[in-house]
Order: sequence, then structure tokens, then C-alpha cells
Amino acid sequence: MSMGHEEHKLDAGFWRATIVMGVISALGMWGVVIFPIQNYVPEAAGIAVQIDWLFKFMAFFSVPILVYVNGYMLYFTVRYRNRKGQPIDEPGSSIHDHKALEFWWTAIPSALMLVLGILSYLLIPTYYTAASAKTNSVTIEAIGHQFSWAFRYPGLRDPVPDELHLPINVPVTIDVTSTDVIHSFWVPAFRMKQDMIPGMVVPMTFTPTEIGKYEIVCTEFCGVGHSGMRDRFVYVQSQNDFDAWYAGEKTKQAHQPTEVTAAVLASGDAAAGQALFQSHCTTCHNAAPFDQRKVGPGLANLFNDPAHPELLSGKPPTPADVAEILEHGLTGSYGQMPNEQMNGISAKDIADLVAYLKTLK
Amino acid sequence: MQAAVGTAHVPHGHIHPPPDTFIKKYIFSQDHKVIAVQYFITSGLFFVLAGLLAEMMRAQLASANNTLLSPQTYNEAYSVHGSAMVWLVIIPILTGAFGNLIMPLQIGARDVAFPWLNMFSFWLFPPAGILLFGSFIWGAPEAGWTEYPPISLQQSFGTSMWCMAIFLIGVSSTITGLNFLVTIIKMRAPGMTWTRMPLFVWATAVTAFLSFIATANLSAALLGLLIERTFGVPFYDPAKGGSPVLWQHIFWFYSHPAVYIMILPAFGIVSEILPTFCRRPIFGYKAIAYSSVAIGLVSFAVWAHHMFTSGLAPWVQLPFMIMTMIVGIPTGVKIFSWVATLWGGNIRLTTPLYFVLGFLSTFTFGGITGIMLASVPADVHEHATYFVVAHLHYVLFGGSVFGIFAGLYYWWPKMTGRMLDETLGKIHFWLMFVSFNATFLPMHWIGLEGMPRRVSTYDPQYQDTNLFITISAFVLGASMLVFAYNAIKSTISGREAGQNPWGARTLEWMIPSPPPYYNFEDIPVVLSGPYDYGKPLPYREIKGDLSYMPLV
Repeated sequence: MSMGHEEHKLDAGFWRATIVMGVISALGMWGVVIFPIQNYVPEAAGIAVQIDWLFKFMAFFSVPILVYVNGYMLYFTVRYRNRKGQPIDEPGSSIHDHKALEFWWTAIPSALMLVLGILSYLLIPTYYTAASAKTNSVTIEAIGHQFSWAFRYPGLRDPVPDELHLPINVPVTIDVTSTDVIHSFWVPAFRMKQDMIPGMVVPMTFTPTEIGKYEIVCTEFCGVGHSGMRDRFVYVQSQNDFDAWYAGEKTKQAHQPTEVTAAVLASGDAAAGQALFQSHCTTCHNAAPFDQRKVGPGLANLFNDPAHPELLSGKPPTPADVAEILEHGLTGSYGQMPNEQMNGISAKDIADLVAYLKTLK
Repeated sequence: MQAAVGTAHVPHGHIHPPPDTFIKKYIFSQDHKVIAVQYFITSGLFFVLAGLLAEMMRAQLASANNTLLSPQTYNEAYSVHGSAMVWLVIIPILTGAFGNLIMPLQIGARDVAFPWLNMFSFWLFPPAGILLFGSFIWGAPEAGWTEYPPISLQQSFGTSMWCMAIFLIGVSSTITGLNFLVTIIKMRAPGMTWTRMPLFVWATAVTAFLSFIATANLSAALLGLLIERTFGVPFYDPAKGGSPVLWQHIFWFYSHPAVYIMILPAFGIVSEILPTFCRRPIFGYKAIAYSSVAIGLVSFAVWAHHMFTSGLAPWVQLPFMIMTMIVGIPTGVKIFSWVATLWGGNIRLTTPLYFVLGFLSTFTFGGITGIMLASVPADVHEHATYFVVAHLHYVLFGGSVFGIFAGLYYWWPKMTGRMLDETLGKIHFWLMFVSFNATFLPMHWIGLEGMPRRVSTYDPQYQDTNLFITISAFVLGASMLVFAYNAIKSTISGREAGQNPWGARTLEWMIPSPPPYYNFEDIPVVLSGPYDYGKPLPYREIKGDLSYMPLV
């Protein structure tokens, strides 16, 4: 009786199930091929198209693996379930291996991995080779800060905060680094990501191929303001628009002071300062009384707040004091405040911020 | 078949009487079965706490710019959730609890090799949990379970407590690894050759090896972080000449093998349950056993696949990609062998088998997305997004936790002497399986679209998906209540299990439930492998009439 199930064979039901799974797989694989990824996440760089093909290659072969594993699992479970009247401890098939079958289910996935490995290998150098090897390219430095980005362009004196402009169809290398903790610079539309590691500069090369505005996202936890490091954008522009932006930025910077002199401080623009405060300061500071801390103290009514320690000692803080802190940072019992490089702000920005802080009551 | 195995070298002789005081019996017990129950209870408690943290996170993420939790509280919640689930729940349950409960019984031993060390190892564990959850008082760590410096150097004292907690767990894990390794090598019953060992023992042996070898590296990394935070010695701070990437290398040199510490025992559980309920030998015994060894060895050479965006030179990335893909091959062999075991069986659809089938389905999916993450260029897009969150939950929840529940339903009768309710078990399974997939499947998509991990607020375009995920996560949490109710009901009024309620053939089922103190009156003699259903049992000299001491 124990040999009762030795005659288990691959019967017609098995082959029917196999064919049904084959049809389901084929439909799924066809779905993978025609799926328009770019309708959901734009493919705004050459490398994005290639990476999506690689992803589709993997998804294509994943479909039959998933369908056959789940399908056979369910089919065998139903087909060979204990039936009414069948003794519960009647032994099933005693087959415990099958060399040919085991060879093929090792060999076929190995072959697939080999192809995937080669395809992946061919793609890697395309985004690690510096674009300067090619003619007509642009190299930009991207610096991560808690919690903003700064982009240095060749020929521009100051870094451009939180806005990356790129000319279309020109190979670009972005040298990625950080001044404080690890950030990660990700533009989903380019399918490109690189950790910004303090002390390291890592190049990342691609060619933007579609004009548009695409989000930059930080994907490495960098502190209390990490979730807010989005809603900053990269603008892919025509060469003319890019040149115009670059020229405008150069002119703007030429008119911007390099040091916070008294005259600069007096020329601060409170409206511009408010925008800067929202983007650069609110991660750590509230517009609230001094003793209402977020990470640092509240900054409303800064110059007259009775809770301010300077006021207690009888010397109210002056705009110049505040500008000094914004320029050089502060280390003290109230914690650490980054300096102007770390915060990615210019002398003009400092004047604007001070002007804004003066309006806060 | 008369094996030429004598009983001459059986360590027989007198059996120590069981401990007589309450403290020796239940608190500082050196009995592997009591220690296993201690692990189950302690880890179970941490599972509830860490699960509640996950529900808090999902509540915050129900809408895009929610202010339910402050960013700081949210960061603390996910960091402690991840740390606790890895180190206080999955690893202790799979090694400490299942390893302790089942492995010595399956090899026909009376206990582990070093019972005192086993007790010591357990008692490092509750203080670690108290340190980790206690860190909330000073401000828990915020940089996730990976605690990358330099950000982890900026955080409050809670991060130092995290270092100490994980250090303790690491020591405990190393000791248990050593203990189990010696036990399996030296204390198998006579006649139990390596290829006659149950597959759970194979899995536990490889896991013990990984715990023993890999965990010391984690301890070194943690000590470095603690020293740097406390005394300012710059191992990792680049501003002072340290290297933040150094931490990543050492951390992942441990934490990738740790992934296999968390899944291999679940593979072992699956390999035990399938033959029992299919009434037929496991398909490809040797393939499954040796593939565990292969996975264990290769797992030491894949760590940098967590670091493909950390600025490694491309030629360094290449071998790690290849090794990672190679891990997929033995894993695939296991999955195909398990499915082939179902073929031609006489299948009894019990709750443990439901969880095994759920495991096969979800873990296969997690394995596939693992390959997608192994490919360097694809990983450059997917890394540190919700795609990764989805993948790791498919392997750690869909794999390890489904495996844990399969094992709990399977060995509960052995541990407690009482059956769990089958209907409640199946309700638990369906609730958990459906809500698990509803929770984690959509995460793949929003990750690919552009949602990063470890954020408390996000772009409003992902709001609808996140709300759906949150609701599913609440159902997933609630499904655990069905199990809790089932466990209580079983303890109060469960049907008596008897010695071998499932009709299985491994040694733990040859003795009463719960097993008596010292397990086997006479050490059994093993004549062949355990899975040949339909043939006579392959054991001699089993006596099951020790006057036994109930466990619970």
C-alpha cells in the first residue's frame, strides 16, 4: 500500500494547467512590454530610457517565474489535497529528487542572471564616466546642506541655491558632495541618484533629453528637516533659455555684495527675506517668542523679546549681531547654528533675512 | 536496514533531577525549552511594541502633510521600529525561540551544549530591549535602524543607548551561535549523520555559523560609534579625518548576513511543515540543505549591494552585483523544490500549511524584487525609496514573519501540549495575507514614482495610495489579535495535543507534548533520514514514559 502512489505521473491536468499558466504569463509579459513607464515618471535623460529598459527586462522574466511558482503551488495544492474517504496518513509520492529537473531549474535562472549581469555591467560606465571627456559638456558641483541644495556653476561666483538649470542634449557631469551629513541627490525623472558624502566628491554623468521641470528629492535621512528636502526642481532648458538664465544669474551676482557691510545691511528686502526664512530657517526656527524652541529658539520679536538672554544682560541684540551669527554660525548653550556656507546663503540673503526678522513682532 | 550504529558512545548515565525552586524552573532556567518560551514571550512583547510604532507611522502618513507626529517623533518611531523588529523580534524568535525549542529535540539531545551560556545569552536580551525602548526618554535614535554617521553623531543620548542595546543583542547572538554550532556538531544522536538531519537543523546550523562569525563585526562598529559619540574619537566623522563610509562597510558586513540569519530558519520551518502535510519526502533534500550552506557563505560577499550609491568605484560594484545575483540561484532552487514537494502529495490543508503557502507566494515576490535591486543601474533609481521598503517587508514580513507564524501554529502543540483552533488560524491567515499584500504591494509603485523612505511628509500626489496603505496596515495589525485570542483560548481550553498530532516523523514528535525534562530518557538511535512517509519510523530505543514537568 505504501507504494500506492508511485504511479504519479504528469497527467493531462498538469499539462492543461501548464498551458493556462503559459497564456497568463504571455499576457503579463506583453503587458510589461507595452507598459508606458514614461507616462507616470518622465524619462528626461538618455540613461532613464536605458534603465527603464533594464527594469522592463527584469519585470518581463519575473512574470513567468511568479505565475509558475504561484500557479503550480495552487494547482498542486488543489489537485493533490486529501479527499473525502482518503486515509489522512496515506503516503504520497515517494519521489525525492529528479536530476534533470533540478539541473534545468538551476541552469535557466543562472543564464538569466548572466544576461542581466552583462546588461547591467554595460550600463554602469555610462553614468560614471565624466562628461568632460566629451566635447560640449558642462560640469556642475552639487552640494548638500541640512536642509537645502547648492549648485556651483563654472564662472559663477556664488552657488545657486535649490535650483538646478541644465541645457538640453548637453552631457552633464554633476560632482556630488556634502558639507555636513550624508544626503542623497535624486532626480526620479533622470533615474539618477548619488549619495552626497562629506569628504567625498563623486561624479554622476547623464544627458538631459526633455525640456521640463523635474523634482529633486533627498533620499538619505539627513535630520529633522529631511522630509522637507523636496519641492526643489531641476529645470531642463533649451540652450538659449539656459544661456539667458546663466547670463542673468551672472549679472545678479555681480550686483550682489560679497560682505555684509552696514550699507548692505540697510538695503535688505523684507519680502525676499520672508521667502528665505521659509525655505532656509523654518526647519529649526519658529516665528514665535524666543523661548519657544523648535531646534533653535523662536525668532519673533528677536530684538526686543524679554526672554532673549542678551536682553537680560542689558544689551539688546543689534541687526549687526544677528548678521554676524548668520554669517559665521554659532556654537553655544543654545546648540549649533550653521554658517552662511553651510546654509547656502549670500551676503544679500543675510541682509534680506535681517530685514525680515526686524518686521517680526 | 540494520545500521552498524552501536549505543556504546551514547552519553547515558544518570539524569539530573529537574530544578525544584520557582526561580530555577522559570526565571534563571537552563532548560532549553523554558528558555525558548522566555524568548517567545519577550520577543512577542517587543513585537507588539514595535508593531504599534509602525501603526503610529502609518497614522502620520495617512495624509501628505499630516502633523499628528512631529518630524522628530516620526523619525524616532521608524528607527526604533526597524531596530526592534530586526534585533528584538525576528532574530531572537527564529534563533533563540525556535532554535532553542526545536533544534535539540530534533537531533535527539537532552539540551544544548552549554546550558548556562544559553541562560546567560537570554538574560542579555531583556536589558537590551529596555535600553532600546528606554531611549525614548532621552530622545530615541532618528537615523533608522542603520544609524549612518555623521547624522547619528549629531543625535541625543538615546543613540548611545541604541548602541549599547544592539551591542548586548550582538553578544547574545554570538554566544547563541557558538552554543548551537557546538550542539549540532557534537550532540547529534548516534546514527544522525549530517544528511539524516532534519532540514530545520541544517538551517539552524548555518544560521548559528553566521551569527557566530558576523555579529562580532557589528559589535566592533557599534563600539566605534559609541566611543566616537562619547569621547570624540573620530572613526566616522569626515570633518575630523574619519570615514562615514567605513561604518557602512562594517555595518553591512554584519547586516547582510543578518538578513540570512532572519530568513534561513524560516526556510527550515517551511522545509519541516511541507513534508508533514504532504505525507511525502521533501523534494531535493540535499539541494535544500546545501543551498542553505551556499547562501550562508555567499552572504559574506554581498554587503556592498546596500552601497551602490555610496560612491564606490564601478569595478567594486561589479563583483557585489554578481555575488548578489548568485544568491538568487540557491534561493530559487529551494522555492522550486518546495513547490515540487506539493506535487503528488496527500495534502492536508492545515493552518501551518496555509502560512507556508503564503510564505512561498510573498517570499518569491520579495526575492524577485531583490534581484531587481541587485542590478546596479536599476538600484541607482530604486535605492532608498519606498521600493526598498516594500522589498524588505516582503522578505522580512512576507518571509520571516509568515515563517514564524507557520512554525508557531506547527509547534505550538509540542510546546504547550494543546492545539490551536484551526478555524481561527485560517481567519488569521487570510486577514494577514490579504492585508499584508494590500499594505506593501502599493509601496513598490510609489517608490518607483519618486517617494523616498524615512519621510514624515510627502508629495500630495502619493496621498491616495498612502491612505490605502494606512488602512491596510491597521487591518494587518488587527489580524494579530485573532492569533492572540487563539493563543489564550488554546491555553485555557485547547484540545489536548498528544504526542504527535500532525503525524510527523522528526524526533521532537516521538516524545510527549510538552516534552519532559531532559527530553529523551534514552538517547534514540537514528537509522535513516526523517521524511520517508510510508516507511517504518527510522528510530530505535525511544522511550516516552519519563514523568514529565509541564512547561507552562
